[in-house]
Amino acid sequence: MRYSKTIISVTVALFLGVSLAAQNLSDLLIGEVLVENTSGLVDDYGQRNGWIELFNTSSGTVKFGGCYLTDDKSDLKKYHIPTSDMDAKVGPRQSVIFYASGNASQGTFYTNFKLRKGSTVYLVSNDGRTIIDQVDIPADLPADQSVVRIPVGVKAMSFQTKVNPSPSPGSYNGDVDAKTKSQVMKEQDPHGFVLTLIAVMVVFIALLILAIIFGWIGNASKRALEGGPKATKKEKTKKAKPGEMTPEIAAAISMALSQEFGGEVYAAIALALDDYLSGGIHDLESMIITIKPSTGSQWADKTQNFRQLPR
Amino acid sequence: MSTIIENLRQFWFFTGFANATWQNLAMIAIGILFITIAIKKGWEPLLLVPIGFGMIIGNIPMFPGLNIGVYEDGSVLNTLYQGVKQGWYPPLIFLGIGAMTDFSALISQPRLLLIGAAAQTGIFGAYLLALALGFDPNQAGAIGIIGGADGPTAIFLSSKLAPDLMGAIAVSAYSYMALVPVIQRPIMLALTTKKERLIRMPAPRQVSQREKIVFPVVGFLLTAFIVPSGLPLLGMLFFGNLLKESGVTRRLAETARGPLIDVVTTLIGLTVGASTQADKFLTGNSLKIFLLGLLSFVIATTVGVLFVKFWNLFLKGDRKINPLIGNAGVSAVPDSARVSEIVGREFDPGNHLLMHAMGPNVAGVIGSAVAAGILLGFLG
Repeated sequence: MRYSKTIISVTVALFLGVSLAAQNLSDLLIGEVLVENTSGLVDDYGQRNGWIELFNTSSGTVKFGGCYLTDDKSDLKKYHIPTSDMDAKVGPRQSVIFYASGNASQGTFYTNFKLRKGSTVYLVSNDGRTIIDQVDIPADLPADQSVVRIPVGVKAMSFQTKVNPSPSPGSYNGDVDAKTKSQVMKEQDPHGFVLTLIAVMVVFIALLILAIIFGWIGNASKRALEGGPKATKKEKTKKAKPGEMTPEIAAAISMALSQEFGGEVYAAIALALDDYLSGGIHDLESMIITIKPSTGSQWADKTQNFRQLPR
Repeated sequence: MSTIIENLRQFWFFTGFANATWQNLAMIAIGILFITIAIKKGWEPLLLVPIGFGMIIGNIPMFPGLNIGVYEDGSVLNTLYQGVKQGWYPPLIFLGIGAMTDFSALISQPRLLLIGAAAQTGIFGAYLLALALGFDPNQAGAIGIIGGADGPTAIFLSSKLAPDLMGAIAVSAYSYMALVPVIQRPIMLALTTKKERLIRMPAPRQVSQREKIVFPVVGFLLTAFIVPSGLPLLGMLFFGNLLKESGVTRRLAETARGPLIDVVTTLIGLTVGASTQADKFLTGNSLKIFLLGLLSFVIATTVGVLFVKFWNLFLKGDRKINPLIGNAGVSAVPDSARVSEIVGREFDPGNHLLMHAMGPNVAGVIGSAVAAGILLGFLG
């Protein structure tokens, strides 16, 4: 009992630890920034403003209420994201857009400052001091082009900053010029031999490990049952006689029953088999079962249809 | 009067007769053929009837813009088709498959897992051939998975790797699954001797309930750690099996293997059939896909049987494996295992191979899901 309490406590602590880690504000970064919006994203008020995209790099939801956005390093608390807003969160590998409208009264996702070329945008933690992330906006950034953070590397956990001619607010900032995996494979393995070799090996290894593990579990299970009667080698390989139910025949019957029959058919076959195997009804030919009408069967008994009188 | 005639003319333009093309009619004929085969021959009726009728639905000639076609955003068919397009029908089917599959045959003879692995070479053989025929690697991967003989896996992978080819791939996979007895039997006979066909394998041991419960957990952890990209399929397969074997979730297991899988099978069959609109389906690529699909089944069966024969060189006495179960490594459950049983009994009526063949058969399901995960990881 004491151990189980300890296990439960440790498990709860681990889960809490995981959920705390999943809400780490340092998992946020400024994914994309657009300053001059003349033909792009329209906000809820029908206006085109500059915008800031925050991206959650983690596999858990991050609540960012209480954090700050600013374009002035001397005033890190310029725009305070309301703590009370339940929508102030972003799902795993998702992004959220803040409109730099200069009018915070429009809502949580509208900053009280407008973006300027040549400035730097900061995302500040809820302590008002720690800068989580920052992006420099080039002074010559053309209209309707954004500064974007593109994931690089296999794990896509490090980022490089680029000017993006095709802004993608709210969507994944993949490199549009990057080659697809298929294109890379076409260049590196045009005939497919390498992939084939690797894949066949992986499939074999996966199933081989599974076979080894279950061979081991099976042996352990057999040892545990060693007290039970053992089947002799002769018994294992002997031929099935008519009327004898072997595991193979049972499996074959089970497979036959897996066809589209109703419950009555199952029941009828089961009854017939029971009679057959227990030496009841059978035909002269082996392995052929006939269901013969028999008197006294409960199915044929009319009294079964009568309603019992309540007492 | 002229108004009536004008309205009649307009009505005529909206009818299928005015918009019919020979391609539509050809596809409708194929749909009727599928339904006929399913009803008369009894080949995979649960799949071929919905797919066949879906083909007819998808190829009714119509005036474009009525927002009723499967490829028109917001239409009823399009909404139902999202389960195929986004790939969430196949994992639901795998949940049902897991809840109805008894892995005892595999657990009692885990060595038979390797036959399931060997038969997956059909996937990669078809992948190589598809590349040689000029398909891109992602398309070749989606085509190769036909060799896994697993409809949901084929739909899942093709929806991720080559959505444009999904209709042809799905129809090809299901067609050849229906034709498993026709395709596999001659290969099995050609590759085995009479002596080999008479090999009797000892009855598998009894499997404890504890082993059956441990299998989905360990199986999932191992395969998902090796191939995380196969998570949707493997996770649902093993989860469904845990529902079945745990003994405490009978209602959930019955729903998964009953109403749920029935609903999803109906929808997936109908919408896949409807997605085979003539203009997207009757192409040269579709013909190549059908050819490659056939070859992938042939390769899978051949390698499965030859693998057992090769393995037998190192086995002695009653450890030897009847090569007639080699074909069952393709995951057309339980059809390919039934073929092993039927062919085995042709030569020895008392030799029931079904139970042994079910081992590689369900191993094939796991193997094809792992293979799909690898292809998705490399090419997705």
